[in-house]
Amino acid sequence: MKIEKILFPTKFREFAFEALESLLVLKDAGLRDVVLHYVIPREEVGFVPYGGYLKDEEERLREETRIRFQEWQQALSAHGIGSKIVIEVGDPVPNILALAEKEKIDLIVVGKKKKTGPELSFVGSHTLQLITRSTVPILVSKHMVEYESSGEMVTRLNDTIFQRPLLATDWSEPSSRALELLSSLKNIVDAVSVCHVIGVKIAKNLDKSGLHLLEKESRERLARYCERLTAAGIPAEPHLGAGRSVLEIIRLARETHATMIMMGTTGKDRLHEFFLGSNSHRVAEASELPTLLVP
Amino acid sequence: MSTSDTISIASGAVLASLVLPVAACAAGGGAHADMGVSLPLYSVLPFAGMLLSIALFPLLAPKFWHHHFGKVSAFWAVVLVVPLVLQYQGGAVYEILHIVLADYVPFIILLGSLYTVSGGILLKGTLRGTPALNTGILAIGTILASWMGTTGAAMLLIRPLLRANAHRKNRTFMVVFFIFLVANVGGSLTPLGDPPLFLGFLRGVPFFWTFHLLPHMLVAAGILLALYYLLDRHYYRREGITAAPDDGAQEPIRIEGSYNFIFLAGIVGAVLMSGMAKWGDISILGIHRGVQDVVRDGLLVLMAGLSMAVTPRPLREANAFTWFPIQEVAILFIGIFLTMIPCLKILQAGSQGELAFLIAAVREPLHYFWITGILSAFLDNAPTYLTFLSTAMGGFYPGVAESEAVMLLIKENPLYLLAISVGSVFFGALTYIGNAPNFMVRSIAEEAGTPMPTFFGYLFKYSAPILGSVFVVISLLFFI
Repeated sequence: MKIEKILFPTKFREFAFEALESLLVLKDAGLRDVVLHYVIPREEVGFVPYGGYLKDEEERLREETRIRFQEWQQALSAHGIGSKIVIEVGDPVPNILALAEKEKIDLIVVGKKKKTGPELSFVGSHTLQLITRSTVPILVSKHMVEYESSGEMVTRLNDTIFQRPLLATDWSEPSSRALELLSSLKNIVDAVSVCHVIGVKIAKNLDKSGLHLLEKESRERLARYCERLTAAGIPAEPHLGAGRSVLEIIRLARETHATMIMMGTTGKDRLHEFFLGSNSHRVAEASELPTLLVP
Repeated sequence: MSTSDTISIASGAVLASLVLPVAACAAGGGAHADMGVSLPLYSVLPFAGMLLSIALFPLLAPKFWHHHFGKVSAFWAVVLVVPLVLQYQGGAVYEILHIVLADYVPFIILLGSLYTVSGGILLKGTLRGTPALNTGILAIGTILASWMGTTGAAMLLIRPLLRANAHRKNRTFMVVFFIFLVANVGGSLTPLGDPPLFLGFLRGVPFFWTFHLLPHMLVAAGILLALYYLLDRHYYRREGITAAPDDGAQEPIRIEGSYNFIFLAGIVGAVLMSGMAKWGDISILGIHRGVQDVVRDGLLVLMAGLSMAVTPRPLREANAFTWFPIQEVAILFIGIFLTMIPCLKILQAGSQGELAFLIAAVREPLHYFWITGILSAFLDNAPTYLTFLSTAMGGFYPGVAESEAVMLLIKENPLYLLAISVGSVFFGALTYIGNAPNFMVRSIAEEAGTPMPTFFGYLFKYSAPILGSVFVVISLLFFI
């Protein structure tokens, strides 16, 4: 598992280019190509009530996008990274997923939405759909974020994403794949924190001795994860948390000064997502750090 | 004409209609029973403004229209509603609630449920566009249109037709005939087929009465399909295609999401039930509605909800399903339904209303066929149908309650209702703005790279000569 080809869909929001620039370090980890992708929403140009289709508008949007992307291509080229422009009319989520499959993409990078509303989420509905349905790892980049810390609004710049990742594992297959992907980033990662959280649901059904046994087993597993990373040339330290998983992961990420959170994700279906949610999705929504989810 | 010119003209009309309805209502007065008699002719200005906006903005200022059609619709609705309520107070509120609850809501629920359910049916597989296959697709679409709505049938088949003919050089005429047959003529057999017929059903026209349009439909569809086949064969030969291309990626033909046909049957059953059952009335906000009608609307929503729940998202995505077109129709039609209140009331007043001259001028079935038709082509066909249904009822049975007048019309003068029905459904194909699916089909075809004629190109090169001839035949056979 290695990141050689990235799909970078964009809506040209604020800091989109800066987010792309922050990925350039991946060149040292094997990145060869970036596919720059823009989906013109069908509603923007089609289904004009009683009018049909705005062909001229589509052409204009295509040209505007091409010009913007060409600027970006120059920056990529200057770093020795190849690139390709894809501009389509359609529905963003299915178009992104289809292109990722067609181009054999290793990583999809999506931006954040402005954290607004009562739910205070960094993840928009499109991104949530993508991380639910993608079979390819997805990085929610969050280049510059504002978030509340100790009752104050803090601005954070996430421009060294890969320097110090926190790998949060639940020992699942996707977590193993996340570990494998992380191992491939040895040239650009300074150190890794590996964490596991003993969740409330599991802990509440165990007595003290059962809990101790679980703690011991978890620490051993964490040590094995760290050993694999160390063997790959990446310094790693284990952290065990307990309590509500999402909050614990975010707390540990802050305490270890992590620059990114990596997690496996099981891609829950719509009903499961609606009723039970998913820890990885919640972390992506709530954390101020870039979040890399590996299916 | 530039966009600014268009907006200036629209502004002038707007200014006039802002002032006039107030004066119109001031001149009127009395309860809603008298409304049709007392409303002056210029109280129909907002309705005319609304329909002209639909006709002109997409043509002259499409980008403006695309982004602001909701505001335009709301504007005309407010221009009518405010002075009407100020003048007629409770009577006006009653009429507004009546048209919204008894006509608009069921209309949108039916369109929405048909659109939702048919959007879950996907025709997949490798089709190679030959004249015979294309004619077959058009024939199937024509048959389906009466049972899944012209919009539903068009959405189901337009993309497969375009995919099947991607290798063909001449594709424009295929889409044009598709609009003629699947998006319009095919929808003439049941109230599910085309919006005007459903509005007639809501006003009391029995579900199966529309089967009387079968001979007209067979003649029109027969001529159009035969002509299409000959044209397609001509182009096929001229393009020098001796065999369909074989890229080695043969995929068997199959229908995915076929369980949606069960929901479609549920919709047909629910509409049928509401036409046959009589379970008494309930009052909603003071408006009496049949219990069976409320149950029907609930069942339609249920069918759409079930379809959404069980159809996988990727299947709808493969159909490029989006709520946008149905939202557009819902937004535009609330403006249409509200602004047409004065027009309908005046026409229902018959010789006592300000449109007595129109009722006097439109006398024969042939008149109804052509005038309903031509207006349906350039306005939307649903309100036009209602307008001329009211004209006929006002002419024959002035002052008679609507449901009773409909039954009398069917019993004593059915040819008039036939002429109105055939005219409004068939002529909807004459222009892009005649019927809602027309613009959806055009949009999908253009997005897929099939060049489509302009508004006037479509009218003068295709629809007027071809459909015009068909309508002359229909007139000679059925209305003279």
